[in-house]
Amino acid sequence: MGLPIPNSKLGMWLFLGTEIMFFTAFIGTYIVLYFGSVDATGRSAWPTDTSITHINILAGAINTFVLIFSSYMVVVAHEAMGQRDFKKAYKSLVITFACSCLFLGIKGIEYYGKWSHDILPGRIAETDEEALHKIVRELDGGMNAWVNDLIPGDAPIHIKQGVTSQVETAATELATVNTQLESADRGAREALETRQAQLEALVDNADDVRAWQELNREFNSLRDKVSQNSITLDQAKDVLHHLEGDARFAPAVSAVHHPQPILYGNIFASTYFLMTGFHAIHVIVGMILFALVLKEGDRLNEKWHDWVENSGLYWHFVDLVWIFLFPMIYIIPGI
Amino acid sequence: MHDSHPSPPAGAGHEHDSHHAYAEHAPHVNYLFIFILLCICTILSAVFDLLPSKRVVTVLVLAVAVAKAQFVMRYFMHLKFEGKWKYVLLLPTAILACGLPLALAPDIGLHYYPPAIPQLQYESGARGEGAAHAAEHADEAHPEGEHPDAEATAPAHE
Repeated sequence: MGLPIPNSKLGMWLFLGTEIMFFTAFIGTYIVLYFGSVDATGRSAWPTDTSITHINILAGAINTFVLIFSSYMVVVAHEAMGQRDFKKAYKSLVITFACSCLFLGIKGIEYYGKWSHDILPGRIAETDEEALHKIVRELDGGMNAWVNDLIPGDAPIHIKQGVTSQVETAATELATVNTQLESADRGAREALETRQAQLEALVDNADDVRAWQELNREFNSLRDKVSQNSITLDQAKDVLHHLEGDARFAPAVSAVHHPQPILYGNIFASTYFLMTGFHAIHVIVGMILFALVLKEGDRLNEKWHDWVENSGLYWHFVDLVWIFLFPMIYIIPGI
Repeated sequence: MHDSHPSPPAGAGHEHDSHHAYAEHAPHVNYLFIFILLCICTILSAVFDLLPSKRVVTVLVLAVAVAKAQFVMRYFMHLKFEGKWKYVLLLPTAILACGLPLALAPDIGLHYYPPAIPQLQYESGARGEGAAHAAEHADEAHPEGEHPDAEATAPAHE
């Protein structure tokens, strides 16, 4: 009675049935969002320009080849297991495992590209106004991090910002504090030492502190213009370009990403990371399945036949999902 | 060509049966040929991307993806050689898989955003006005050169 296949294989196919629905839910949602995200004319405005979305078609194509090759290796391993050629099966599984590592490595490079360009869900400016506010927010963050590095101690940022105004008198005050420290009792010593560290930092980093002050003036001007809505994105880009040209400001300005509004960029990034992320998790699960076989080494035997077959089915499914993700995310242009 | 051996018990007997079952019923497929076909399909996908017509590219690329999926399912996953149980198992999931996009399409795919999208309305200062009104008067309200955001908020692929 029952289906004419082993229980383990039936279990794997039932699991793959749920997996089909899992991924088609994502893919189906992606498709309807793609067509539903329209411009003023009612046409899809889904971001597809690879120079803006930083989608790397070559990386996707290489990963497609890597997964197909690994699928081929799995089926070779399964065949070899059936022919009791365990050495060949083992070698094929090692290659499959290496391919999965390569796939994740390339995916990691792709993710790093997204990270470095801030193509992340919830972080993408979709309009010029959002881009202007993002410039201000990121420059503010960069300046805070910079002043935090320049002035030692645990004081709040606004205190440290205030300390920078004392750069011109720091040397004189430092001499006074050093003198006071010589005769200070234990109670006063701690506060004097904190002050001494701040003043020493001001003296040692005087040029950087002055640069921070200069940048702060530029930043305040830019922030005011943005809040008064009296500057366009192009003008702000010019200001940013000017600041980027001054090497002294690099510690803060490097925190600002290229201000490129991407209409529907956030939902694009959400769906991209959701689909490719869950696929990558499945690749990792596949690697674990293969690692459990590979740890057998020379002891690999026919006991593992069903395991290799079922792991292979799972791996082919992972390949299958990528076969659809590749054209949908990487190739298909806006229509 | 069916895999007709019963559910295997645990232990050495099962290993023996499993091996013999495979030897008797293993499909003879030239997997290397299938792999080469899959590689050719992948190259075709990349080549099709160079075609000028976006609609043609979409159709061709998806057709190639379906062909690749067929190769993987039929030969690598051995569905071609399995019994009719595969329909019992896979048809319901396939129907449900198609059902979701179809169910979402009317509300989300067709009406997820109205043509006058919130982002553009916000940029043009048309918040609070009706969507249709904003769409109709978008050009009027922001003639060329006056509204610098218009170009940046245009669809990325156009």
